[in-house]
Amino acid sequence: MRLDPAALAKLLQGRRVSMVSGTNGKTTTTHFLAAAVRASLGGDDARLVHNADGANLHHGIASALSGQRGADIAVLETDERVVADLVRLGRPEVLVLLNFSRDQLDRHHEIKGLGRSWRDALARAGEDGPVVVANADEPLIVWAAETAKRVVWVDTASTWTQDASLCPNCGSPLVREQPDHTGAPGGNWHCSACALRQPEADYRVVEGRIVDRDGRAWEPDLQVPGGFNVGNAACALAAADLLGIDAATALAGMRTVTAPAGRFATMQVGGTTARLLLAKNPAGWAEALPLAQSATVVLAIDSAAADGRDVSWLWDVEYEQLAGRTVVATGPRAQDLAVRLAYAGVEFRTEPDLARALAGHPEPVDVVATYTPFQRLRKMGGV
Amino acid sequence: MGATGTHLDQGQGQGRGRRAEVVLVYQSLLGIYGDRGNATVLARRLAWRGFDAVLTTVEPGEPLPDTGDVYLLGGGEDAAQVSAVTALRADGGLHRAVDRGAAVLAVCAGYQIVGRSFTVSDGPADTEIAGLGLLDVTTTRGPVRAVGEILSRWSGPGGEGRTGEDQWLTGFENHGGYTVLGPGATPLATIEVGTGNCGDGTEGAVAGSVIGTYPHGPLLARNPALADHVLELALGEPMAPLDRPEIAELRRQRLQAVRR
Repeated sequence: MRLDPAALAKLLQGRRVSMVSGTNGKTTTTHFLAAAVRASLGGDDARLVHNADGANLHHGIASALSGQRGADIAVLETDERVVADLVRLGRPEVLVLLNFSRDQLDRHHEIKGLGRSWRDALARAGEDGPVVVANADEPLIVWAAETAKRVVWVDTASTWTQDASLCPNCGSPLVREQPDHTGAPGGNWHCSACALRQPEADYRVVEGRIVDRDGRAWEPDLQVPGGFNVGNAACALAAADLLGIDAATALAGMRTVTAPAGRFATMQVGGTTARLLLAKNPAGWAEALPLAQSATVVLAIDSAAADGRDVSWLWDVEYEQLAGRTVVATGPRAQDLAVRLAYAGVEFRTEPDLARALAGHPEPVDVVATYTPFQRLRKMGGV
Repeated sequence: MGATGTHLDQGQGQGRGRRAEVVLVYQSLLGIYGDRGNATVLARRLAWRGFDAVLTTVEPGEPLPDTGDVYLLGGGEDAAQVSAVTALRADGGLHRAVDRGAAVLAVCAGYQIVGRSFTVSDGPADTEIAGLGLLDVTTTRGPVRAVGEILSRWSGPGGEGRTGEDQWLTGFENHGGYTVLGPGATPLATIEVGTGNCGDGTEGAVAGSVIGTYPHGPLLARNPALADHVLELALGEPMAPLDRPEIAELRRQRLQAVRR
């Protein structure tokens, strides 16, 4: 269902709007930026509206905005498909573009089409468009952001390169240079034929710290785990700077973020202590799976519309790293995972029912889930 | 830089340590639907049977090894497909492999690539691209994209005479191109549910040791009999049975889901 664009435009009017989009990390990054803004408001929280629950389509955004008509600052997580509309309707000041990777290919056949919609929207917006904070590690993001009036580039030290083999501009093979000072396995990239290349970064993630363009280094000291969240924090820090928030204040806010919309939350269910990790696609699993360090790991797989009906992506995840641990495969597509684990040489047991898969573990367990079971688990645990 | 090969831990059985090499071709271009899974499945099934299974991944710019027993191609977006066919034609290794009797399994965009020609979308117009000509099939843009679970009866080479569960091929298709077979190719299967080649009731194409087909899932993870047929084509000997209850259960579930 599509909302009347005029209604959404009216809800956005008169606010300072910041948007965050990308395949992975947008909920957490939006929480970082919202927390940075909140820290700068000196207790006047009513000035901020944030779609904190991750409802990031037209209706979810409109619902958040209409619930806080008095708020003059909006920090909005925005689905990839809504970015172009919101750039047009909402005149955002800041747009954070995190990454692009394959996700739900049964619905989005070519990720390049989404990148093109961003690029065109930014070109059309011209001088009225947002300043873009963009991940310099991602070729498709760089190409999409090129048309913006100004871009602040962030080297997030991303490690996922499997969705960027060809130049989004001309289709020629991309070349990845030897790993650079950031220690990123991908190294810098450039096109083998045209001028597209990794831009010089304004902010960089270097050995877990965030370094700004003046060479100042910040310890993130975040409460959420994972190197990828330092990259997300670097993007939020750059966005906060554009909103006029100093780095110390912004980081103080970001350090209060613990479990954005249930991600990384610890909960009690069926006598078990479980930590929730969300992974929706191969890039997301590559980030989440190394965080799951418990002796028993529960993996929950579904193929509802929101998960993608095709589970072939299971074979692009390195489940081999779980060898030697106890794995419980659960969710409606547990059997697809079971076959993947068998071929990976990983011991497992299959328990399609989520509640039973979670029940009765004497030691804390990490749970990695696709979108639909993740939301069910949040309900079960009240997080 | 040459292609890299990994030896899998070896089990006991019919292989008695003989080398068997599975070559995964251009995963970075032709691998968006978990297609590397077909390589994982073949190599692991060889290793379970006591072969010295070598899994070799080769990327554009690296020569295709001439030592492979099976060559695998998967799915990819338009630009990647054109890039892959250009590199494969320049390399020539796939033709040499077929000439010496190696097996080729080409899925989705890979299927289109090994045919006579296919089209890619170039703005409003479609451009025809020459394929490798290993299969007598021609692909053009279809009226609607075929997306969803697919079930077919394995009626073509390798499938004749199979009864019970083994006669069914299950997978997930996602393709905009429709493929028509010429006289030099035989359909792999007959459609029960889904679109397959072009909505004419056929699925896939076979010529000698070359198999082209649309379903991923990936294909061989969901169809162990077909996996072993590919190995038999490649190695020229029957494969000893493997008892893997988790795969039988997955097939039961997927067949039930698609027939509902």
